[in-house]
Amino acid sequence: MFSTTVLASAFAATATALAGDASTLLAGWAGLPAPGSAGLPAQMSPRGFLVHTLNGLYFGFILFMIAAGLTIIFGVLGILNLTHGELYAFGAYTTVTVMGFLVGLIPPPTDPATQLLFVAVVVLGAILAAAIVLPLGVIIESVFVRQVYDRHEVYQLLLTFGLLFVLIDTIKLFWGTLPRNVGAVYRGVNAIPTTELVGFSYPSYQVFVMFIGLIVFAVLVWFFDRTKTGRIVRATAINREMSTAIGVSTNRVFTLVFGMGAFFAGFAGAMFIGGPAATDLEMGLNPLVLSFVIIVIGGLGSLQGAFVAAILVGVVSRWMTAVYPPAELAAPFLIMIIVLLVKPEGLFGTWGEIE
Amino acid sequence: MSLASVLSSLPLVVERDEGLRLRLLSGLELDRRQTGLLIVGIVLLFAMPDLAAILGFSFRTVSKGLMLGMAALGLNLLLRHTQLVSFGHALFFGAGAYAVAVLANYGGVTSSLVLLIGALLFGTTIAVFVGFLVAGHREIYFALLTLAFGQLGFAIVLGSQFFNFDDGLSVRIEGARPTLAVDSLLGAELSTAAYRILLYYLTIVILLALLLFTWRLANSPFGKTLDAIGQNDLRAEFLGVPVQRYIWTVFILSGAYGAIGGGLFALLELHVRPQPTLHVLVSGEILLMTLVGGFSTLLGPIIGGVIVVYILDLARFQTEFHNALAGILLVAVVIFFPRGIMGSSDDIRAGAVQVREDPSVLGVWVRELGARVRGGLRNAVVATKHLLFGAR
Repeated sequence: MFSTTVLASAFAATATALAGDASTLLAGWAGLPAPGSAGLPAQMSPRGFLVHTLNGLYFGFILFMIAAGLTIIFGVLGILNLTHGELYAFGAYTTVTVMGFLVGLIPPPTDPATQLLFVAVVVLGAILAAAIVLPLGVIIESVFVRQVYDRHEVYQLLLTFGLLFVLIDTIKLFWGTLPRNVGAVYRGVNAIPTTELVGFSYPSYQVFVMFIGLIVFAVLVWFFDRTKTGRIVRATAINREMSTAIGVSTNRVFTLVFGMGAFFAGFAGAMFIGGPAATDLEMGLNPLVLSFVIIVIGGLGSLQGAFVAAILVGVVSRWMTAVYPPAELAAPFLIMIIVLLVKPEGLFGTWGEIE
Repeated sequence: MSLASVLSSLPLVVERDEGLRLRLLSGLELDRRQTGLLIVGIVLLFAMPDLAAILGFSFRTVSKGLMLGMAALGLNLLLRHTQLVSFGHALFFGAGAYAVAVLANYGGVTSSLVLLIGALLFGTTIAVFVGFLVAGHREIYFALLTLAFGQLGFAIVLGSQFFNFDDGLSVRIEGARPTLAVDSLLGAELSTAAYRILLYYLTIVILLALLLFTWRLANSPFGKTLDAIGQNDLRAEFLGVPVQRYIWTVFILSGAYGAIGGGLFALLELHVRPQPTLHVLVSGEILLMTLVGGFSTLLGPIIGGVIVVYILDLARFQTEFHNALAGILLVAVVIFFPRGIMGSSDDIRAGAVQVREDPSVLGVWVRELGARVRGGLRNAVVATKHLLFGAR
């Protein structure tokens, strides 16, 4: 027990050291800023601007992966899943365990072949961790949430709110209260040159996450647009009674969608914890609220909307860290208020159907 | 001269067909049993400091519960009548608390009454703005937006030097507590215990006034119109009710309740930090209180407030996993007692009678519950298998 905590803190320290200036730019996002952290605004040189924008994109892609799950659950079930942030945290914690095991099995990434293997293992580990979170989402749906579909929304909110607390303590039970990290992943992926090839230094891991985020977006669009299951899910979202009438088991669709949502939340957690960050028992709350903001900006239930809004929120809040740090946390909400005043149904407003 | 005729000569007592009634407001008349309960309730409330000392429970926790209960009472205005769920009520609670802290810190205001009026005004102003933006939305969107506004307030306070970030502001002015109205009569500065007891009395006086006001509101044409909006807002709109303006108004009122509760909370704690006042979890707790007490009743939120705060405070000292305890309580209330303590009292009584007549009914209930959970878990296993390994 003791040795793992020491290792975890050592990992955290090395990760911070390696990440250099990028990690200080990212420091605000994992948790809440330390008192007095509102220092002098950083200079916005062209290079600084680029770094902030890239950080914003990285942040935005992770937010998108969280919000995507939330928005499809909302679009189909009409339930605002408050446990989503904890599922994300669960994914992060599982990743620490799974990756810590997997990374130890393979050779360190030194030449192109081992680097490729390393990235493959990281992706595999993230998928594995998310697949562990999936049954959790499925159980939440089929044991608890199912009881309250036909009740007033206050019950749906409070039920998931109660489960949020239970999940926080489940995490505490399994992993304890100390922050955990898998620095090896961040170091390993960063060893692979990406931006260095075009004469610019930016952590490869962040580029890797953006790439994965794009793939997730593409897969989701493909799933809902091209596959039979995806179309059935959309049909259920548009008209529950009608899809029951043509032989769709709505119960099964609901479970499937909840499981999918949990999977993507867990996957986002895996992607997040691979970066310059450490787990924290409270880590689920901020992303949860931010993904609410994102799905309101994008239009509830809209995937494209969630994508655009997540990138917007990510980039704007990173710019704010550079220009005016106190506004960093408030910026997403201000965007949301403006969108609500100008276009109340959201940028890609469908309000309830997956597009 | 009989006792009845003496009583009926009192200004508050009126005679009705079935007997004497205590008349508190026009329309609010209590029969004997209700009057008895009212008197017992008020005596209990006023005797709370002594009871706490005798029975050894935390008196401060009860005060805190009543203050959060006030916010829940405000929330219940929205929930009970218009059926709208606000998941950001901590914003007003926090606004009240921070208004007190700012006035004491930067304005040097010492009178607690002035501080409370400041809290009320500030909270109401915030509610005017937020209400304007959310009044056009219904159902889950309303919850989502209020939640986001609540977090906006949290984010602003957390990122601002003026509010001293995460550390919060002290309500003490040069080390001294704000004065309660009677300080000058007593001459000397109050001891901590006396301060808390006086503040508690101030709290219950305000609380009783708020309850009377809420009752009056609920039984006024305004309250009935809100009920109509809650039942069917579209039909109300067609009947000529300016629905949006009504929701805006009741939102402002409910924010004002929260602000008063928050202001009192600041006076109790004497130090205002963002986490226990503005955080989204506080919003959830306020909603939980309303539900635990029973959101279709007048007194439910207050009773729920005291119970929830007490359980949470108690759990914090008993177990490391107090969050899970709160969560399990919440899930159990949602699934088994959806109408809360006040609302389900008849159900509970009926259940108790059933158990007394035939104890085997307990076994039936446990089996039913087990079957439900097993069914859910079986579904979960099947669904997981399908999701991970395909449907065949």
